[in-house]
Amino acid sequence: MLKVEGLTVKYGVIPAVVNVSLEVREGQIVTLLGANGAGKTTTLKAVMGVLRPAVGKIFYRGQDITSLSPSLRVRLGIALVPEGRGIFNRLTVEENLLLGAYSRSSREEIVKDLEEIYLLFPRLAERRKQIAGTLSGGEQQMLALGRGLMARPQLMLLDEPSLGLAPLVVRELYTLIEKIRDQGVTILLVEQSALVALGIADYAYVLESGNVKLFGESEVLKSLDEVKRVYLGG
Amino acid sequence: MFSWGYFLQQSMNGIILGCIYALLALGMTVVYGILRLINFAHGSLITVGAFFVYFIFFRAGLSLPASVFLVLGFGGLMGLVLDTIAYRKLRGGPEVALLITSLGFYTFVENFMKMVVSPQPYAFKTPPYLSIMYKTQFLTFRSIDVFIIVSSIIIMLIFHLFVKKSKMGIAMRAVAENLEIARLMGIEVNRVISLTFVLGSAIAAFTGFLWGAKYGQISYDMGFLTGVKAFVAVVVGGVGSIPGAMLGGFVLGLAEILSIAFLPTRFAEYRDGIVFAILIVVLLLRPAGIMGVKEEVRV
Ligand SMILES: Nc1ncnc2c1ncn2[C@@H]1O[C@H](COP(=O)(O)OP(=O)(O)O)[C@@H](O)[C@H]1O
Ligand SMILES: [Mg+2]
Repeated sequence: MLKVEGLTVKYGVIPAVVNVSLEVREGQIVTLLGANGAGKTTTLKAVMGVLRPAVGKIFYRGQDITSLSPSLRVRLGIALVPEGRGIFNRLTVEENLLLGAYSRSSREEIVKDLEEIYLLFPRLAERRKQIAGTLSGGEQQMLALGRGLMARPQLMLLDEPSLGLAPLVVRELYTLIEKIRDQGVTILLVEQSALVALGIADYAYVLESGNVKLFGESEVLKSLDEVKRVYLGG
Repeated sequence: MFSWGYFLQQSMNGIILGCIYALLALGMTVVYGILRLINFAHGSLITVGAFFVYFIFFRAGLSLPASVFLVLGFGGLMGLVLDTIAYRKLRGGPEVALLITSLGFYTFVENFMKMVVSPQPYAFKTPPYLSIMYKTQFLTFRSIDVFIIVSSIIIMLIFHLFVKKSKMGIAMRAVAENLEIARLMGIEVNRVISLTFVLGSAIAAFTGFLWGAKYGQISYDMGFLTGVKAFVAVVVGGVGSIPGAMLGGFVLGLAEILSIAFLPTRFAEYRDGIVFAILIVVLLLRPAGIMGVKEEVRV
């Protein structure tokens, strides 16, 4: 579904990601792991098109999308739920959700999806007219997910969704992510905490200083001593 | 000597000047909200709009509705041109480059106008139906005053509804808050920015017409101080806040008129100074302005 080939992304002259290749199969959850500063966010931004690669190509459903604008990629069905949630704090919950559907045109479908999101996240329904900046961290993450879903994506990129959430909320979040996957959305999940991510992922990549260090089936990776030692704290 | 009749009369004049400031402040506050740019070029639209109406309405004799329609369109087009040729390439660069460009654009237009229409002010004669006098017990006013107040209220209402309710308006606020994230939503940020210039410039050009019709005189340099005062209104109301910009405009217009009306006549020549004194006082009391965004967001 998504294929990244030999991706190099630089900030100025400094490369943040070097020669990264990865593949996300349709219907799967693939996780991209790595320590802070490894290049995970940079990779997602390049897939979304907000950063231009210096080298490399990005294919989505077989189509080369490397030179497409972010708005065209959204239209093709890719959505990024950014690190730190990226909620519009001054806008209401509902306005945030509607912005998720910005690239869509059918009003009826948008209204219908909005109601579905409210069913999925009842807490957002209660707060639909509330300014989003007043939500708790967990609620904001739900809003970010809901906003991403409003684009009706086929591929969702989630950048550290569990960051800063209490363990109980993280469990709730991961149940939701699986639910989203079960509805047919393919997911590329970026996390620092490998333990939970490997639990739901089918496949995993580990980035280190901008390079792919390891990759393989989650089950296999979980049992590797190196992964255990560095990422699973065991 | 204080009399309520005089106070009311002057308040109305203040509100009319306030309408003009408020309309200009709208365009400036949305542009500032998104680009952090004090758009001096905004002032040039006042001048250009006033002369545009002067020529099509008074010289060429087009009807009032047609002139209003055309000046809005003309201003909008100028805004689009300004954004496309002058600003777009500079986005992402240092903010000061935008600022200098906007000053440069203003200077260019002012000198261009000086060359084309002459340095002499033009008399802007209002047609008879805009100069009908109405006398009530307390107030004396002309039909142009009614026209200014009604058209300003209509524009502010439409603008407010647009920004609050329309898809583009929501996108505009999203871009103002976080351009990066807005882009992730699939919003074509450049188009949204262009639109803010188009809307603000259309309104500014129309305001030039109101100014001419109200004060009876237009000149190549009329836009500068008016534009700067409009930005003062933006800051007084709270930078980036749309209701704040409108409120700031009215506060400024009222304060300017009432202070020259009630201070001894020798202060009259300080009316521009008074405007900036108000700015300083407001900022000392409320650093974010009357309706500053920072306060708005607080839980
Ligand atoms: N806007 C930026 N400008 C310059 N360097 C950046 C920028 N964003 C990230 N970097 C650098 O790029 C590298 C990868 O960052 P990032 O992709 O954010 O890592 P991760 O998401 O894995 O924590 C880091 O060394 C970081 O300092
Ligand atoms: Mg990151």
